[in-house]
Amino acid sequence: MTGIRETKFSVVDVETTGLNTRKDEILAIAIVPMTGTRIHAYDAFYTLLKPEGKVKAMHIHGLTPDALKNAPEFDSIAPEIVRRLENSIIVGHAVEIDASFLRKHLKKTGFKIEFKHLDIAEIEQWLADRLGERGVLSDYSLDRLAEKYEVKIPYRHNALADAFVTAQIFQIQLLRLMKYGVNSFDKLIKLLQAYRSYAKIF
Amino acid sequence: MIPPKEFLKRIKPFSFLSEDELNILLSNLEVEIFEEGEVILNAGKISKYVYLIFSGSVGIYQNGEMVDHIGKGELFGVISTISDTPSSFSAIAIEDTVCYMFGKEAFKEVFKRNQRFSSFFSTFVTKKFRSFMDIINETASDAGERVLLKDVASIIHKKPVVCSAEDNIIDAARKMMENRVGSVVIVDREFHPVGILTDHDLQKVVVDGRTNALVKEYMSSPVISIEKSSPVFEAYVKLVESGIDHLVVTDKGKMKGVISSKDILSEFEPTALLIAVYRRIKKARDVEDLKRGIELLKSSVSELSNKGLHFHELSRLINSVYDTLTVRAIEMALTETGTKDDFVWVSMGSNGRKEQIIATDQDNALICSDLESMKEFASHVNRILSEAGIPMCEAGYMAEKWCYHLDDWRKMFRKWFDEPTPEHVRYLSIFLDMRPIYGKISLYEELLEDVRESVTNQALRFLAIDATSIEPPLGFFGIKRIEKGIDLKKHGIYPIINGVRVLAVEQGLLGVTNTVERLEYASEIMGRERSHALRESFEFIQDLRLKHQVFEENNLLKSSELDKLSFILLKESFKIISEFQRYLRTRFRVDGI
Repeated sequence: MTGIRETKFSVVDVETTGLNTRKDEILAIAIVPMTGTRIHAYDAFYTLLKPEGKVKAMHIHGLTPDALKNAPEFDSIAPEIVRRLENSIIVGHAVEIDASFLRKHLKKTGFKIEFKHLDIAEIEQWLADRLGERGVLSDYSLDRLAEKYEVKIPYRHNALADAFVTAQIFQIQLLRLMKYGVNSFDKLIKLLQAYRSYAKIF
Repeated sequence: MIPPKEFLKRIKPFSFLSEDELNILLSNLEVEIFEEGEVILNAGKISKYVYLIFSGSVGIYQNGEMVDHIGKGELFGVISTISDTPSSFSAIAIEDTVCYMFGKEAFKEVFKRNQRFSSFFSTFVTKKFRSFMDIINETASDAGERVLLKDVASIIHKKPVVCSAEDNIIDAARKMMENRVGSVVIVDREFHPVGILTDHDLQKVVVDGRTNALVKEYMSSPVISIEKSSPVFEAYVKLVESGIDHLVVTDKGKMKGVISSKDILSEFEPTALLIAVYRRIKKARDVEDLKRGIELLKSSVSELSNKGLHFHELSRLINSVYDTLTVRAIEMALTETGTKDDFVWVSMGSNGRKEQIIATDQDNALICSDLESMKEFASHVNRILSEAGIPMCEAGYMAEKWCYHLDDWRKMFRKWFDEPTPEHVRYLSIFLDMRPIYGKISLYEELLEDVRESVTNQALRFLAIDATSIEPPLGFFGIKRIEKGIDLKKHGIYPIINGVRVLAVEQGLLGVTNTVERLEYASEIMGRERSHALRESFEFIQDLRLKHQVFEENNLLKSSELDKLSFILLKESFKIISEFQRYLRTRFRVDGI
């Protein structure tokens, strides 16, 4: 069982045209790698992706159609993404969506990859519940979490920036988890699973 | 853009870096969180990173003792990284702390490439304050540009004076006079400006001999106006293009105020403000005029300070205004009482040292060769000054009480020097800062001659004890104290003023009262470097106090008011003051008391 300090994480954020994994496309991907609590900012990965279909202007915040037109296609960078995500745990904010988009797109390209993932919003709820801070946050949006963890610095939202802020939040959460005695990823997953079923009951 | 870049761009010295150079640093960046108590860097180890504290705080330990306490935005590990030498200190997280860590090679490369970046560190390391201050002040050099971009609304200084088109011209003129303005704006019922009447139009009225005319016959219409959110630059262009001198500022079409070309120019030339105040005081006819002058002076001080003028420049400009004010008050009293001017009026305190910026109370005395009716006269001057807005001194160091014949002054000084009781030492530290303001300077010079002869080593020693009794806050508890709120006057300014005074008096420099001038003279004996460092510290702390006083009336400064760099500089200044106090103790042999 690997300890949290040795565990490899990949903090991801994908920007998409919408929330429907079947119809919508990925426009940008950012991956910020971590080992334990250390963020390897130097190895951050970010790319725009050329969409297959027509992109309605309203979907693309700050991404110019021109830039997207000249961006690589998903197929060409899929191996790079797989290389980066393999053997690591995916971390994100509301990461379920990011993970399903990635899974679906990679599958289409012929990569079969299974990954475990952690949601910082879920961890936050668990921490809040355990450490008795429940009710402090009215919502668990990335912005709100960034404010709470005082990692909010003025920046323009894009996938890379959001992934980095997510990594900084996750870093502090990890330290708190370790102080709470959660020193391995497996332990954390078990706790979260138990918490999920508990949350369902109430 | 990755958020660290935005964060770095706001922090000196990273703000000096080009996009390329920032990218070099970022392409070698790691971010780590350290648990409370965790050792981040060990003494004796060569650091692999330069650490920038993103959040939390870190203690710097040497020989097991905490020598510094640093926080958000501060760096450590620079010297060890750059020079490949073992770190001289250990760094330990005082609370959970997030650090940005720059890889050694990348940092070195940027350090080599960017001279401003590297000189930031080298000046910091060698404590060359001045160049350090220059770096900070460079940001103020684009002040001119900022002025042009400000909203016009922000430079309106007076309440709008308005009248109606149907008013008599004589009433409009009266309004202008009462409000001391050069123009009146004519508005309709909805307060929309329909015309403007200026001094210039009134000249025509007089020439035409038509003082009973109506405003509408002479006003300029339509008015040239500008919306309040427009930049000053646009107002400037409008004035120049139309060749007029007054511009009406509107708020959604309604009259808001008037700005003149003078208002705009005084934005560019802040000292022009003071010249206007100076003229007003010089021409003051009564206490009311003086009072208005002081009010103007106060508001211009805060404005000038906001515009980035420093203590050094401000004190030089403002003390002559205070002197003029005192002279006007004395002249008024002379006319009213018919006293002959056989005396010299002296100032003590910050005014005596030419260091006054905001007058908090009076500090003055009178030396005469004939006491006849002098006390009444002195008391009269004190009253005028007080009514004008400079409060009486609570401790009573005012001419109405300290009004003596030259011979008595001589005797008093001699006694104070011969018997340095705490009370006498206090008198010495007050009256050794006296500076003549008005009257027969020869009386003051005669006294000075005598004082020079009266100085005793014993008294100097007690003055030195007095100067070193209050120490600046240092060490861990000192820093904690700064965080709670520190009295800059008591812990920073007084120790320097008092210490420098002792040295000056020891050297027989009795006519010099200004702390910086005293330091200049004393640099021979105390060493150039020490004198220089003290001067920088003095002016730096005075600057902090000035900025603080613009908002609050006390001297209590909290570290939350300080940006990171100022906080570091304040700590450095305190170290310099503390070293100076050790020097004084040795020099005047007051150790062990």
